[in-house]
Amino acid sequence: MSQTSRPEAAFVLLVMQATFWLIAGLSALPFVLGGEVFMLLLAALSFALAAFTIVAAIHLVRRRRWARRAVLTLEWICAIGSLLLFVIPLGANKGPVSVLANLVLPVAMILLLRGKGMRARFGIAGEAPR
Amino acid sequence: MYDIAPDHAIGLIAGLVAAPFAILGVRLSPIHRRVPVTVQIACVLMVVTGVIHFALIPVHLDSDPLTAFLFLGNGIAFLALAAAVQWRWWRLSSSALLVVTIVAYLFYVDARLEGPDQVGLATKLVELTALGMVLVPAPGEWQLRDRPWYWALLASALPALLVLSGGTVWVQALAHPDARHVHAGAVLQSTNEVPTNAQQAAATDLYDQTAAAIAPYADWHNAWAAGYRPSGSTSMPSTHWFNAAYGKAGYVMDPRHPQGLVYANSHHGPVLLGALFQMTHIGQFGPDPGGPLTAWHQHENICFSPLGLEFSLMTPYATCPFGAIDVTAPPMLHVWIVDNPQGGRFAVDIDPAVVAAIDRT
Repeated sequence: MSQTSRPEAAFVLLVMQATFWLIAGLSALPFVLGGEVFMLLLAALSFALAAFTIVAAIHLVRRRRWARRAVLTLEWICAIGSLLLFVIPLGANKGPVSVLANLVLPVAMILLLRGKGMRARFGIAGEAPR
Repeated sequence: MYDIAPDHAIGLIAGLVAAPFAILGVRLSPIHRRVPVTVQIACVLMVVTGVIHFALIPVHLDSDPLTAFLFLGNGIAFLALAAAVQWRWWRLSSSALLVVTIVAYLFYVDARLEGPDQVGLATKLVELTALGMVLVPAPGEWQLRDRPWYWALLASALPALLVLSGGTVWVQALAHPDARHVHAGAVLQSTNEVPTNAQQAAATDLYDQTAAAIAPYADWHNAWAAGYRPSGSTSMPSTHWFNAAYGKAGYVMDPRHPQGLVYANSHHGPVLLGALFQMTHIGQFGPDPGGPLTAWHQHENICFSPLGLEFSLMTPYATCPFGAIDVTAPPMLHVWIVDNPQGGRFAVDIDPAVVAAIDRT
């Protein structure tokens, strides 16, 4: 029952996503030196999000319910936000890398963690956890 | 970096076509159904990257036979490993092949044998994901790997490789932009290369009219009264001021109604540097009377933060800092009324040394 590696696959994707946010935070820092002070706050928030994602990834592998819920919530927000950005005519990048990192990755994570089987493996819906 | 090289498009198409077949193949294969989901995903991703490498062989065959030969070897190896999941050395071989392929790409980009583009970057993302799937321990599979140190190593090595890949590509793209990417994030309008006499005269005429029309805005109070407002922090060396009404009205390169003004933020207040014309729609470049002298530019892949109205650059992985969104600004054309020795009267940027000198006044 517990011998699925879907949470481990999600762990890999979460580590990658956290790295994307880490790099995004780092990319804001040169602009802080240029005088854009609010970018420091955005960089700090990006680092915090990256750190939270790593913590959630670790607890996902440990089959913690809160981690699954948190990751699913996060990924739904990411997927919907990315879809909106792709649809609203703001000129957002719609290249293959953007689609992979901002849409396919969250959707893949949702597909990996959703469903009754996964709920059961995380001790939800009355079934015992591993 | 944000474009698809025309000769690489076939690789992208091949990868997209291969993906559903790879998923179907893994789902139907009795051997693959017995392995963990992580391994199944790795197999699908290796098939995709293998097919992308195969598809790129013809476009490299004439110009770079060695690369074409390496692509052939890569493609065969990826497909063979995607099939041989029960081989004893599968994990070691797969991870080695993936790392070598990623590092080889970075070498090619760093040595400028290959320009970084979306197909290359997307393929590296696929390979990095496959690498993670190959290395991550699956429950009950091999207890020796399921140790805290191994997880810590995985959770640090994979990001390190991601940062290295993104950093290499980014540095190369910024250090060696193509002719149309004059500076980070700005794409120039296509024009003829050498201005004709008529174009030179038209550019001079545009400059004279604009300089005369914006002369009253040397006093920033007049600009304020006309509806111009700073669009960002005034603690930076210079600030763009925009007139929302002129923006909405849709004036096209009208010297009497420029959509923006640029001020240096000196110790004794804003000093007018020039004007800015802006179109209303993305991708709609304005009239270009001066040919290459008055080429418009469009800022693409910039991260806009509503907080403080600040900007940064989108990363190679197409992400922005938390709270910022990726946008493209409609084409614009600057007219600098102060000397701009680095780029001239209509340059995309004003020389920072000029702004710094004014700021010190």
